[in-house]
Amino acid sequence: MSVPYQWDIVLSMLLFSIGAVGVLVRRNILVMFMCIELMLNAANLAFVSFARHLNDVAGQAIVFFVLVVAAAEVVVGLGIVVAMFRRRRGATADDFHLMKG
Amino acid sequence: MEDYLPIFVLLVLGILFASLSFVGSALLAPRKKPTSAKLAPYECGIIPDREPPQRFPVRFYLVAMIFIIFDIEIVFLYPFAVIYRQFLGAFGLVEVLVFAGVVLVSFVYLVSNGALSWGPARHLRPAQPERTSASTISRVGSGPGSGADRAA
Amino acid sequence: MTALLAATPAHLTVKIAYLSILPMLALLGGALVILVWSSLLRRPLETVWITSLTVLAATAALVLSLMQYFDVIHHGAHVAIDGAIVSDGFSAFVAVLVSAAVVVAALVGDGWLQQETIRGPEFHVLVLVSASGAMVMGAANDLIVVFLGLEILSIALYVLAAFNARRRQSGEAALKYFVLGGFSSAVFLYGIALVYGSTGTTNLPQIASYLAQNYVLHNGMLLAGLALLLVGFGFKAAAVPFHLWTPDVYQGSPSPVTGFMAAVAKVGAFAALLRVFVSSFGLLRADWQPAVWVIAVASLLLGASVALVQRDIKRMLAYSSINHAGFILLGLQAGSTKGVEGSLYYLFAYSFLALGSFAVISVVGGPGDGRHGLDRYRGLARRQPWLAGALALFLVAQAGIPPTTGFWAKLEVLQAAAGAHSYALAVIAMLSAVIAGFFYLRVVVLMYSPAGATGDGAATGTIVDTVEPARAVGDEGEPVGVAPGGEAGSGAVALLEADTGESAEPLVIPGTTGIALALCAGATVVLGIYPAWLTDFAHQATLLFHP
Repeated sequence: MSVPYQWDIVLSMLLFSIGAVGVLVRRNILVMFMCIELMLNAANLAFVSFARHLNDVAGQAIVFFVLVVAAAEVVVGLGIVVAMFRRRRGATADDFHLMKG
Repeated sequence: MEDYLPIFVLLVLGILFASLSFVGSALLAPRKKPTSAKLAPYECGIIPDREPPQRFPVRFYLVAMIFIIFDIEIVFLYPFAVIYRQFLGAFGLVEVLVFAGVVLVSFVYLVSNGALSWGPARHLRPAQPERTSASTISRVGSGPGSGADRAA
Repeated sequence: MTALLAATPAHLTVKIAYLSILPMLALLGGALVILVWSSLLRRPLETVWITSLTVLAATAALVLSLMQYFDVIHHGAHVAIDGAIVSDGFSAFVAVLVSAAVVVAALVGDGWLQQETIRGPEFHVLVLVSASGAMVMGAANDLIVVFLGLEILSIALYVLAAFNARRRQSGEAALKYFVLGGFSSAVFLYGIALVYGSTGTTNLPQIASYLAQNYVLHNGMLLAGLALLLVGFGFKAAAVPFHLWTPDVYQGSPSPVTGFMAAVAKVGAFAALLRVFVSSFGLLRADWQPAVWVIAVASLLLGASVALVQRDIKRMLAYSSINHAGFILLGLQAGSTKGVEGSLYYLFAYSFLALGSFAVISVVGGPGDGRHGLDRYRGLARRQPWLAGALALFLVAQAGIPPTTGFWAKLEVLQAAAGAHSYALAVIAMLSAVIAGFFYLRVVVLMYSPAGATGDGAATGTIVDTVEPARAVGDEGEPVGVAPGGEAGSGAVALLEADTGESAEPLVIPGTTGIALALCAGATVVLGIYPAWLTDFAHQATLLFHP
């Protein structure tokens, strides 16, 4: 007996929603990064479970690409954060209000 | 239900390992309880009045990030290695060499920029351009007193 | 990709039609050569060499993509790399456009780097890499390749947005762009996952044939995936409900980067959007057309109306780019060949207008790239007739006044909308063009009016007074003195400038920026007078769309 793939998809949708809400609600930049990662990994989970359901290996290969992209993205993001916070203390999105209008 | 058997075995093994570690460390650890003086920082009677600041140099984060990038590139080598003998042949070898070459170029760039050189920090490039009188004047003029960032 | 991993029994022979990826390889090769060369030298490489190499690589890519175009004309469209990349008129058009944009962006960037005395190969390398991502998006034949192109484009752009380390706004813009860009990428990826789950493939033609052969009864998941794809594209293309990052990022990024972003990121996003929606999901047209209609109308109206009240020229042009995104969406909404053609033409025209406008802005911004208040443009024509003339040309063209490319671009998409019987949308678009024309012409009038020594604030009217106090309060809490560099806020220097009278120092147009401006202006005028060249190109590109 194995778990029906729909449950995997539901789980991935939940993870994705948690991530999306987190990005929009949380104010800590690092937590926002983590939420973006959560969204990407939710998509990975969806790919893998669809691939298993469809019996198609392409969906699993996609995950490799997404992993690499996610790593590159987060490294660039952290680089920007480190560059910015060498001058500042906390990591809060509310500190960023130089530009308005 | 037998699908869950490996998971169950893994669970048991995990619990076993964790508890054995605790038991082992309890058996092997030094018996003598440290006194409070022994536990104090510096062990010299001076009581620090605040937590020592934990400082990590930015370079540390930099190296960690560089590691992540190079580490994750390896993920492409696994599928390559799996099907290399069977399907890919010379073409696959050339492809992977090109891939490695591109990664190597970024590594060369990192080394030449000093991103991997530890030791006392030195500025590889001047952080500020040559100061001119004009730049200084505009900086003074935009100080807090003159309502900076007004229309930003 | 599928065949690479599927267990095909025979020894795999991968045949790659290299011409279809050569333009991208030229850009990436150029980037790698620059990186290696500047790394191996002991002293930092002179910027002029890096720029020359970049222009060389981009020109090579331009030539190669033209060769690809003629190859497609003679031998027809074909897929390459196991169906991941397609070589057709559309991809060749995008490749030509992107490489030409890289030439201009590299020249403008060179001028800016010299002005800011920044050395090092990073700017040009990132521009090249980012542009190759846009090219990949134009040629992608698989949703995952679209995603990879999108990420190559975006990740390099995040760094470019943060490029001006001396302005705090630059880092802030990069961070905003990064968070919202990463969010939209994740949304886009989940959309791909849902489409993959419901159609069983990520290959664009296979999706189309699946939809043609199967009637999907419960297509909720498919439509949800489609909606997420639209959201992801909407973010990158800066269409209205997803435009929130645009003004801040455009304002905070260094001006040449903003121009590049406005041109190339839009080209990449719209190219992939057009291909995915028109060719793969063409059969679901009835489902996505209303959504695109709403997005287009919102972009047209909000972009035009909010731009009216901006005092910062970069913010103004950011909202204007949102307005342009609405126009480009007209072509998509039409969903026809004519519509795709109009959108392609519009992208071509707008790219050079954006690059040119932001090139002028980066010169007028002066050292530090921080002076972008509209006051700064008062009486510019007397101080810098050429610069003012060029900006006037670009703004007039963006307003859609003949004989410029901007006029033909608007005409093309409006014709497409009328051809698809979207008359209401066409009327709204024309209305927004009228509103937009007002703020473009306001800047032109400001540049050609005599420089008033007093009352600079009064010139832009009551708007200024109503908006100003709120901003001042918001920024007072900011510890301005904290940053060691003490970066000047853009407005502060502009105000200082206004106080001390005009032109504290004469504006210097770097030679390379001058060349870039000449190229943009030439493209705008020549292709405006002979529109047939470009319309034919766009038409051919659309006809040779891979099925």
